[in-house]
Amino acid sequence: MDKETVATISYLARLRFDEDNKEKITKDLENIIEFVDQLESADTSDIEPLANPLEKTAKTRSDEITAENRKETFLENAPDSNEDYFLVPRVVE
Amino acid sequence: MSWETVIGLEVHVQLSTKTKLFSGASTGFGAEPNTQVDLVDLGLPGALPVVNKEAFYKAIRFGLATKAEINQVSMFDRKNYFYPDLPKGYQITQMEKPIVGMGSITIDVDGKEKLINITRAHLEEDAGKSIHDLFDGETGVDLNRAGTPLLEIVSEPEISNAKEAVAYFKAIHQLVTFLDICDGNMAQGSMRCDVNVSIKKAEDKELGTRAEIKNINSFKFIEKAINFEIARQIKLLEKGESVVQETRLYDSIKNETRSMRSKEAANDYRYFPEPDLLPVVILDKELEEIIEGLPELPKEKEKRFIDEHNLEVSEARILSSSKAMAELFEKASEKTKDSNLVAKWLVGDISALLNKDNISIEESKLSLENFVKLIERITDNTISGKIAKSLLEDVWETGNDVDNLIQEKGLVQIQDESVLEEIATKVIQSNEDQVAAYKSGKDRIFGFFVGQVMKETQGKANPKSVNDILKKLLG
Amino acid sequence: MSIQFKTIKELSLMLEKKDISNHELIEETFNLVEKYDKLNAFITLNKEKALEKAKALDNKSSDLALSGIPIAQKDLFVTKNLRTTCGSNILSNFIPPYSATVIENLESSGCISIGKTNMDEFAMGSSNETSFFGKVNNPWGANLVPGGSSGGSAAAVAAGIVPAATGTDTGGSIRQPASLCGITGIKPTYGRISRWGMIAFASSLDQAGPMARTVEDCAILMNQMCSHDSKDTTSLDEAIPDFTKNLDKEIKGKKIGIVKEFDLSKLDKNVVKVFEESKKHYESLGVEFIEVSLPNISLSVPTYYVVAPAECSSNLSRFDGVKYGKRCENPKDLEDLYIRSRSEGFGDEVKRRILIGAYVLSAGFYDAYYKKAQQVRRLIKNDFDDAFKKVDLIMTPTTRGPAFEAGSMSDPIEMYLEDLFTVPANLAGLPGISIPSGYVDNKPLGLQLIGNSLQEEQLLNVAHNFQKTTDWHLKTPDMEIKS
Repeated sequence: MDKETVATISYLARLRFDEDNKEKITKDLENIIEFVDQLESADTSDIEPLANPLEKTAKTRSDEITAENRKETFLENAPDSNEDYFLVPRVVE
Repeated sequence: MSWETVIGLEVHVQLSTKTKLFSGASTGFGAEPNTQVDLVDLGLPGALPVVNKEAFYKAIRFGLATKAEINQVSMFDRKNYFYPDLPKGYQITQMEKPIVGMGSITIDVDGKEKLINITRAHLEEDAGKSIHDLFDGETGVDLNRAGTPLLEIVSEPEISNAKEAVAYFKAIHQLVTFLDICDGNMAQGSMRCDVNVSIKKAEDKELGTRAEIKNINSFKFIEKAINFEIARQIKLLEKGESVVQETRLYDSIKNETRSMRSKEAANDYRYFPEPDLLPVVILDKELEEIIEGLPELPKEKEKRFIDEHNLEVSEARILSSSKAMAELFEKASEKTKDSNLVAKWLVGDISALLNKDNISIEESKLSLENFVKLIERITDNTISGKIAKSLLEDVWETGNDVDNLIQEKGLVQIQDESVLEEIATKVIQSNEDQVAAYKSGKDRIFGFFVGQVMKETQGKANPKSVNDILKKLLG
Repeated sequence: MSIQFKTIKELSLMLEKKDISNHELIEETFNLVEKYDKLNAFITLNKEKALEKAKALDNKSSDLALSGIPIAQKDLFVTKNLRTTCGSNILSNFIPPYSATVIENLESSGCISIGKTNMDEFAMGSSNETSFFGKVNNPWGANLVPGGSSGGSAAAVAAGIVPAATGTDTGGSIRQPASLCGITGIKPTYGRISRWGMIAFASSLDQAGPMARTVEDCAILMNQMCSHDSKDTTSLDEAIPDFTKNLDKEIKGKKIGIVKEFDLSKLDKNVVKVFEESKKHYESLGVEFIEVSLPNISLSVPTYYVVAPAECSSNLSRFDGVKYGKRCENPKDLEDLYIRSRSEGFGDEVKRRILIGAYVLSAGFYDAYYKKAQQVRRLIKNDFDDAFKKVDLIMTPTTRGPAFEAGSMSDPIEMYLEDLFTVPANLAGLPGISIPSGYVDNKPLGLQLIGNSLQEEQLLNVAHNFQKTTDWHLKTPDMEIKS
């Protein structure tokens, strides 16, 4: 774990740290990663990963419209919107 | 130096479910912005996805039709990235265990068949729509499309040129519309594709570096974009430069591809199993039901048309090219009991009109009912074939009723032989020179008399009767 | 008539006998909220609506199970038209357009939600110090932490303001604060209670549960909170029993496992003493103790600190300043909007976990961390499966010790080890309960019982028998903190 790695994952997570904090966060992450490195000690050959403790299968739904139009409520709650759209600063492609 | 092109296609097919992949919001096209958005589609905290089983059934139909393995236990994963039209900050897709595994499809290029293997087909949710040019300095986000089910069909890199790529895309288009799992509406974005293009030396085994052209949604543009890209890459290689692995955008106005230069390329999507969704299981019983409900596929139809109606391969291929065309052929044949005549018109004049207008049969104004009438009026000698041709053009433009048009325009064929004889006599009397020539042995001039009679009758005469009468009168 | 420290059962009886009106009860509850304002247990109050509902109940008799019972809701459950912050700045202005299933279930059974309780930001923390809305004080001591993340809920119940509160438990967030505040809290089997409307921290670990003064009240609440919910497809379809039915059943002959690998000698001797006394007490009730081995249990916390951050890093991506919640001032472009909204909106602990999560999922590290952790997770679950072949329940201390001083634990890993005894149940999806079992320096300490999957009834039964024969849960704090 170095500053460059922290910079990369910070960007992936869209987070930024000021210079003072960078040292600390790098150190913290280093310690945490070192702590979880204990996992190496387990023999996990041929062990199927467990993603969910339920180990059941999905319940599904039928193809029927159940949603109502809540446009006004949704747009009202947005930080920036007009009568039709959520708005963000212009994205240049 | 001889170069070889290697192309792979990722086709995104919008499945024609009523509701979204994970919510009960409508997938209908053209609604007012942000009116078809459920709590899940907005990515509200605490809202959870619930799988729409119908999307799975539709995906499985595709899998079965391409002789692919169906994964009866399949799973969803999350693909993480930030974009305003991706409300949750991740897209739910299938990475590890897609519903459809390896399959294949046969394409036709200039009458030659080629088998293209399909690596996989997986379900995923579509993103919303970002509108960049409507508001001053701002981008608008419409989430109506967010969560719409897509089937992403990934081909093996076995396509060798732009023509094959178009043929492949057309074959997928034909198949998904036959299967009734996609409306095939290209203009509404129901089918889009990403194209991977790379170039290598003919003798090299290793593939070259590829560029991905994103989001093309027309047959024409696929061909143009690929051809541009091939030329661009070869030019680079010939100059001794190398191709950069990147995502490019096709600009249809300038007819060129250009680098998107976004940081997307450097993104790390951090796929991992979607913890909000357990594995989706398709029971044997469900699978059997889907198999039973599978419609006849294009190739099977083509073969049957050849066998049952004694058609040429080329004719059968056109008649089975789309579901609507095949249906029109079969229904009209059944009603008129003259499948050969029906085929002749569909393959000939009607296909020509379709090509001219660049539309599909279901987009035309020709109804089954009207087409049947047209054929019947030919077989019952109400109108001549020639009249029928011009009548078809009229119907094509207006969609008006065939019988009404015949009445209105007085196109009924003249059956009364005495009337024809009268006209023929008049033609003979007023063309003495030609009569003399004919009698002196110039047989070929006979056609002139036929033409004159047809002209007098405005094409309404039965050509066979005219022939007989003229022969009799001219001796 | 005082309502402070009353149980649900007692309040129901008071209402039934008309010793107090519904309106008076709720009014009195808000008086207590105000009186113990310094606890900082609440982020948002629902006073007007709560009083309105109480009044309506006074006008029309109701036979609902929890008619008129005041309850505090952890601010992690979304509540329609009532601000829901999850303890975070980024949601400090968020008014949800819908309510969580848990909230709907409780309210439709007659409960009156009096407000939203303080919590560690996005449930990430074990001391309630990471809340954007300030730390919560433990009623048992002015500067003591209440535990976390359901610290506000635990403090509100411990202070006797409300008889019960909702909590959520991802790695111990119900049981640990229950232990530190001297109340009872149960985390049911994963999937027992719908997650619809619970703001996700780690989806495969999160589970809601009740926090109350007694096991019996927890059982009463479980009856209302559990439901089959088609909106959460990870929720269970299994039959939901009447959790109160077998509470009084005798527990003679029950086998309880003691985990060999948990070396209690490293704990404070007073803590060990409390645990040993609990064991003795259970023995007196006819319980047999058997040592069980959970060979991979020591890897629980490292496993948890891979799985939970991974899921949270993805779950928290939706908080981006675009659709709801807070957006930074004057973003100059989209990237700026994302980065500043999130950097200003999240606190340090949340950021730390998001980064850890992004790291363990990133290309090249996935197999070594995320996949490995999921494999170890299976090993841990297998260990429990084996153990439950021999015993009915497993017993551990809930926490390594009683409540600690705010600000005393600055090392993140030290804090993570607070979850040592509670995390395994989350990884394996098992039900766990914490009940008051004694005191160290006048600070309460909890006892944890872990049951096999779906065995909440047995868990509640064994825990209730403890409370029937002890009075640790009846002790109330002598609160120094007064307004």
